[in-house]
Amino acid sequence: MKEMNYHEQERQGLAAATSSNGLDWFEESISSFLAADVDLGGGGGAGGYAWWAASPAAQQDDIGSVVAQTLSLPAAAPAATSPLAYASPSIASPAASSPSDVPSSKKRKSPAHKASGHIGSNSQRRRAEQERSGVGGGKKGGGKGGGAGSDRDMRWAEQLLNPCAVAVEAGNLSRVQHLFYVLGELESFSGDANHRLAAHGLRALARRLPAAVGPAAAAVLRVPACECPTPAFVGAEPRLFRASLIRFHEVSPWFALPNALANAAIAQASTCGAAAAAAAAAHRPLHVVDLGVSHGVQWPTLLESLTRQPGGRAPPSVRLTVAGPGATSPAPFSASPPGYDFSPHLLRYAKSINLDLDIGRVATLDAVQGLCTPGEALVVCLQFRLGHTAAEERSDILHKVRGLNPELVVLSELDSGGDGSAAGEFAARLELLWRFLESTSAAFKGKDTDERRLLETEAGTNLATDVAREGRERWRERMAAAGFEEVSFGAEAVESAKSLLRKYDSGWEMTTVAAAGATGSGAVALRWKGQPVSFCSLWRPA
Amino acid sequence: MEVTMEDVAGDFEISGCGSTTASSTSSLDDGTGMYAWGELSPVADWGNFCSDDGGQDLHGLIESMLCDDTLVGVATGDDGHEGLHHPAMFHDDVHCYSNGSNPSSTTTTNPGTPVFDDPPQECPEKGLRLLHLLMAAAEALSGPHKSRELARVILVRLKEMVSHTAGANAAASNMERLAAHFTDALQGLLDGSHPVSGAGRQAAAPAAAAAAHHHTGDVLTAFQMLQDMSPYMKFGHFTANQAILEAVAGDRRVHIVDYDIAEGIQWASLMQAMTSRPDGVPAPHLRITAVSRSGGGGARAVQEAGRRLSAFAASIGQPFSFGQCRLDSDERFRPATVRMVKGETLVANCVLHQAAATTTIRRPTGSVASFLSGMAALGAKLVTVVEEEGEAEKDDDGDSAGDAEAAGSFVRRFMEELHRYSAVWDSLEAGFPTQSRVRGLVERLILGPNIAGAVSRAYRGVDGEGRCGWGEWMRGSGFAAVPLSCFNHSQARLLLGLFNDGYTVEETGSNKIVLGWKSRRLMSASVWAPPPLPVPSSPPEGVCQPVVGIAPANGGFGRTECDYIDSFLVEPAYALV
Repeated sequence: MKEMNYHEQERQGLAAATSSNGLDWFEESISSFLAADVDLGGGGGAGGYAWWAASPAAQQDDIGSVVAQTLSLPAAAPAATSPLAYASPSIASPAASSPSDVPSSKKRKSPAHKASGHIGSNSQRRRAEQERSGVGGGKKGGGKGGGAGSDRDMRWAEQLLNPCAVAVEAGNLSRVQHLFYVLGELESFSGDANHRLAAHGLRALARRLPAAVGPAAAAVLRVPACECPTPAFVGAEPRLFRASLIRFHEVSPWFALPNALANAAIAQASTCGAAAAAAAAAHRPLHVVDLGVSHGVQWPTLLESLTRQPGGRAPPSVRLTVAGPGATSPAPFSASPPGYDFSPHLLRYAKSINLDLDIGRVATLDAVQGLCTPGEALVVCLQFRLGHTAAEERSDILHKVRGLNPELVVLSELDSGGDGSAAGEFAARLELLWRFLESTSAAFKGKDTDERRLLETEAGTNLATDVAREGRERWRERMAAAGFEEVSFGAEAVESAKSLLRKYDSGWEMTTVAAAGATGSGAVALRWKGQPVSFCSLWRPA
Repeated sequence: MEVTMEDVAGDFEISGCGSTTASSTSSLDDGTGMYAWGELSPVADWGNFCSDDGGQDLHGLIESMLCDDTLVGVATGDDGHEGLHHPAMFHDDVHCYSNGSNPSSTTTTNPGTPVFDDPPQECPEKGLRLLHLLMAAAEALSGPHKSRELARVILVRLKEMVSHTAGANAAASNMERLAAHFTDALQGLLDGSHPVSGAGRQAAAPAAAAAAHHHTGDVLTAFQMLQDMSPYMKFGHFTANQAILEAVAGDRRVHIVDYDIAEGIQWASLMQAMTSRPDGVPAPHLRITAVSRSGGGGARAVQEAGRRLSAFAASIGQPFSFGQCRLDSDERFRPATVRMVKGETLVANCVLHQAAATTTIRRPTGSVASFLSGMAALGAKLVTVVEEEGEAEKDDDGDSAGDAEAAGSFVRRFMEELHRYSAVWDSLEAGFPTQSRVRGLVERLILGPNIAGAVSRAYRGVDGEGRCGWGEWMRGSGFAAVPLSCFNHSQARLLLGLFNDGYTVEETGSNKIVLGWKSRRLMSASVWAPPPLPVPSSPPEGVCQPVVGIAPANGGFGRTECDYIDSFLVEPAYALV
């Protein structure tokens, strides 16, 4: 009985997430995207990203302009006569014809091409993109096959960057110089995913070089210009930053899926735990500690789903405690530009749905203890932050989290591990960045927009970190060592997440990984073209 | 002998061919007044003859790149030199780490290696960028990490950078045009348009293929212009011819078996020398037997060369006959296919592939060996060999990364060819800076196809054995060096004097001289005497066995000249006169 209830709630919560997110702005572009196969039954509310729309008119205009820009670009492109039209489709053999457009869309270095290059490259790249998706075939299927050797052969940037990283670490300067020259010719922050990977990789290696070979040796190498023209999150324009985050959640499950799973689990915990203990105690406050990278984008759907708990069992109050970027070592996607603050918008939205919301900020996890009140349902969300910290810091933070004795801990992390060597770690990060760039290219249908480049720049900073990444199994050991035991997602949550995933490119898939000793589904792994990207898992104190 | 400079009659005009001797020194001295170039070359108007070294030195550029130390631009630190200032690598937004102040601490130095000695006006870094891309494309096409996709992407970028059809765009820089040809050659490998398997089967001579596409007349014209622009062809012909003339002096009948006759131009100049002896001795009878491949259009081209030569001989009163013999289907030379005539002095002439020639047939190593040993077995008095010179194999790759090593052999051969052709390119550019249109024609019709062939061969690895030249093999097989006369030496120097500065001639052995451009050796001519024939004892079955067949210790065969006359009439040689 009760279980049914939970599942129902859960389903509705997720359905909210899957429904009309941001459609208000993107009707034109996304309608085709939201195919009817998504279960919209429980939706229809004002959930999703509509809360932004409730903001003042000035901001609407802003977003509108961003959108207009996004939408107008493809419309304009085909009409423009591309100066690059002569470029190369005929050169390649038919088998390789789809990517043959790609290098021609490369950023031109000569000023003459600069003005028109983007338009031309957009149209060309889109064509390539369409061909690719045509080849990609049906849902899921195409993606799985993609992990094979042929796919690896297409990833030419890694074939230059990995040997270059080895040469950098080995101090083989002539080899580094050679590969720098080659990468310098092929890199582009606005080309196809391979060109972009070459650009990000070259930049990271050029920065790494002095530390690896010594400043004097590094000084004799000629390093191609490889500064990224787009600032990362911290230097972004706040409104573009916000628009980018929202757009990215719309088009890519990279963060959206882990967020949706987390929200479903939180919504469940806010009522479920109480119900299990005593029905009378159902009305407990909910306290969510946010050590993540969503910058507020994750929470509207949670709030919305809470209000639609069956039987009006929404928590009487919700406290959101956001741990600032300083709470962990710098992690990609964790910074935000000065002037960006999502609190007013979120508070306004909460008010509109009659939810008592309180937002607090803490600099470190140590401060959270003081904010906790007895009787509240405490949930800690650790999302894509810990993976970028050193091993001791990970243990330290997990220890502090354990000290809070939360009812639920959500852990979402990138699923990637190197071999421990500098070049091996670089290769692992590179591979992950490739998945990001390739999937983001697919998410934006190959269009080169400001939003896309901002996200990619931020993702590219991941290459510069020298922290060893860990795979899912290692995380599991680490959590167990910190005194947690794994909890399973409910079957309904997984099903809903699957239907959410169907909105996105067919290269995505998710799998559930049975937790040791637990019944039902354990962690949920997100994969791009058959290769692991991230996992989302649930924990509670053992 | 005298200089014979008269315009040749007949249907095959040969410009500037003739043997020069020391007696003509005075007329050659100024280096420009020698030949009436304008008259002899129907198309080209060479204009000025300035020999100042304009333009960028590709060859130095490539050298600088090939050398690991200079690659990273480290100056030799011993003499307190500061690190050399490198030209900016990229035009716009240069991002260079500032030069280190103590370069000596950075890496091993290799004194004496050139570093961008003279950054030319025209962005030198583009040349470097092209070179690195070409090398990377070659790497991507070979080795354990081969990636066709990477090669394809690099080639697309290369084409953007050299965007023009080779030679058609006079505005394109020297390096761009060279890179364009190598790009096309690599693209050919990627597309598989050059045969890459079955190393035994030869691609048709690229120049011949080019001739099929272009008007044959164009190719001949380009060939003739190249002759006039550079000493590459004449160097080999003159040196070989001079050695032959000296060896057959006084003989009444001379029989030359030519491994690769091409247009036959070499023999026109020999005939001129033979018919104009100062002592009035009448010219000996000359018989040429041209070796041709079985099948294909080769035999027809050979016949055509014979027809021209016969007409030319008739026009100057040279007693002459011409025949051909075919290689086996496996490209082996069988002595039995050569028609022998009693009383003839037998000479073998072996001109192997050269960068700047239409003679681009490169046969399998075994074929050349069978020819050399077969001619020895036939009792040839002299063997002349003209061949490409490679750089000495470097074994100092210890520093290279493992993957570079593994991909090595093709990449190294490819860079070797790039190096070679860059020297040819530089030499033509330096000699005829204002003749871009003419150079374009030569590049497109002769050098480009040769590059395609050279890259294709490098890819198939067929060059492996012949790399260090035939000298070692010949010595090992009992051939003796025949010292070059000082006549011959000075003739070579005089020849180079006709061209711009930069060509070098080098004596690397008593019987061998090497033509180079600046520091790069390009081709050599050497003269040999086959080992003495052993006592006749067995039938000539073993004759075509290379190496072992002629090793004196083997003693497996022998003959008298008379024996051969009748027993080897396998294929009638037809005199065309």
